[in-house]
Amino acid sequence: MRPHRAAVALILALTLVGCAGSSATRSAPLTSSSASGTAFPLTMRDDDGVSVTLQAPPRRIVTFAPSATEIVFALGLGDRLVGVSGPYDDYPPAAKRIEEVGGAGDFGVDPNIEKVVALRPDLFLTIEGGDQWKARLRALGVPVFTINSTSLEDTFHDIETVGRLTGTEEAARALVARLRARDEAIEAKVAGEPPVSCFFEVYYPPLTTVGPHTFIADLLRRAGCRSVSEHARSDYPQWSVDDLVREAPEVYLVSSESGASASAVARRPGFDAIAAIARGNVRVIDSDLVSRPGPRIVDGLRALARALHPDAFA
Amino acid sequence: MNRRYRRTLAVLAMVLTASFLLAVAVGAVWISPWATVRLLAWKLHLTARPHGVPRSTEVILFQLRLPRVVLAGVVGAALAASGAVFQGLFRNPLADPAIIGVSSGAALGAVAVIVFLGSGALGAFGVPLAAFAGALLTALVVYRLARIGPAVHVATLLLAGIAVAAVISSVMSLVMSFSGDQVRDIYAWLLGGLVGQGWSSIEAVMPLVAAGVIAAGLTAHDLNLMALGEERAAQLGVEVGALKRRAVAIGALLAACAVSVAGVIGFVGLMTPHLLRLVVGADHRRLLPAVLLAGPTILILADLVARTVLAPQELPVGVVTALLGGPFFLFLLRREGRRARAVG
Repeated sequence: MRPHRAAVALILALTLVGCAGSSATRSAPLTSSSASGTAFPLTMRDDDGVSVTLQAPPRRIVTFAPSATEIVFALGLGDRLVGVSGPYDDYPPAAKRIEEVGGAGDFGVDPNIEKVVALRPDLFLTIEGGDQWKARLRALGVPVFTINSTSLEDTFHDIETVGRLTGTEEAARALVARLRARDEAIEAKVAGEPPVSCFFEVYYPPLTTVGPHTFIADLLRRAGCRSVSEHARSDYPQWSVDDLVREAPEVYLVSSESGASASAVARRPGFDAIAAIARGNVRVIDSDLVSRPGPRIVDGLRALARALHPDAFA
Repeated sequence: MNRRYRRTLAVLAMVLTASFLLAVAVGAVWISPWATVRLLAWKLHLTARPHGVPRSTEVILFQLRLPRVVLAGVVGAALAASGAVFQGLFRNPLADPAIIGVSSGAALGAVAVIVFLGSGALGAFGVPLAAFAGALLTALVVYRLARIGPAVHVATLLLAGIAVAAVISSVMSLVMSFSGDQVRDIYAWLLGGLVGQGWSSIEAVMPLVAAGVIAAGLTAHDLNLMALGEERAAQLGVEVGALKRRAVAIGALLAACAVSVAGVIGFVGLMTPHLLRLVVGADHRRLLPAVLLAGPTILILADLVARTVLAPQELPVGVVTALLGGPFFLFLLRREGRRARAVG
């Protein structure tokens, strides 16, 4: 056998397979088009600026963020949820039984594209980031919708957006009305209290806090906290213990994600010089409540308000 | 003898087919080889669409698995053929496009285009062409540096390769410091990745790989004569200077094709020709077809390992080939050293 003839044969074989596949790339979207509901087909622009069209109310939803999972459950759509991102999708408990699609990619933070496609979702609800895999999913006909919250108001808006997207607008509106009423009650109570200077620890070591434009900073302001980091220039700035000693916050808040108990914080070298710690005003805050822009966010606001004004929220 | 060779090729082809079907089958969702075969037959208009195969399986097969496995095959073939050509040219079994710095040169060319012009610049061929220019230049520099008198010695070849690769990697760091947001992408790409590429990468690189492979086939006979030494080859009618230029260009083109779509993947070009020389002998006309069947097999299997051992997280395929090939390289180096001592 002549060598180059064998080579040509191999190339021909590979090229044939290549041509066969390329015709499959121009496929129709996976969505079904049964005509139910009034507002469908529905086109909405998401927080990434992408226009997304749904032919019918989604029946097979995949969420790729714990906050999105919580919103979907709160709208009574738990039974339509066929996939969640991973072990952090732990609320409500029923979410833990749903197939996980995350953990893929070079850094283990991307969705497993094959798994997502195999679940045949007609809505993939997620938050900002991951432009590359989002583009891949869209190319495969998966409708990817991004919601992105930077404030409490944004979260209410996102819940209503998901309501419209899933044909549960009324449930969403009622939920937001309830949340808003609770929020107003909390903020009214806070308004009667003097503001408290505080520090919020996201992470240690290195000691990291929140800048003024973060979601948590918005909650802190509403809860009546004058954060010592409210003039920080970045979103998650590192903070020095020296500065904290000088700034002398009245209350030291620790995110539970930081992994420390109140007593552990007090034992760190040099920390007992911080006024709040010397007075024993260290409060651990459940990070799931304040970091997930979902329906439990008002619980988070209440937890913060209570930590800052224990007498008013006894 | 001839019959034995044909049987070897048949076995290699069967192993390649089996690896192909296995790699296509395994993933987040199992796709049975039988379903694959039926879907392929349908796509090639041989049969009707098979019943009972869900549409999502079809999407996963044709848009995710197949492009990835076929690309692994094409890249494996290009790397193995490139290794065979370089080993013949340098008359040195330790030549590999990654070890002698050619892959780094190709990567530098590609990264420079991505950073300064954008990955879509100059059409689908922009990145491969820039990679080719980088690879060619590097191959020439390394060859010049490594050559002392008539022969290229192991030590000088490796040293020249290391030195040139070091210079290239610092230039690459410099280029990447201009890149801003693309750094993470470029870094992931440099580690060697077959992730997330559709048929377009294959379409872009396939004609170039085909051209390189055909050119390598046409050069095979002359490379055999080169094995006798440059003087003997010249006496036998080989235009040694022209042959060397041609061989460098072919090896560089093939390496550049691989790098431009999959980043730097080491050791496939080293191992494949080496193992097969033990089976089919050193004749390049016999070696090349065997290498073109075995190279794809090795890379397809390496990629299968890369995406399954830590599933769903993926390892860069370059890490897998390096873990397999590194010890192999050290073994060869040691054997070369012993042989040199025995001769000296």
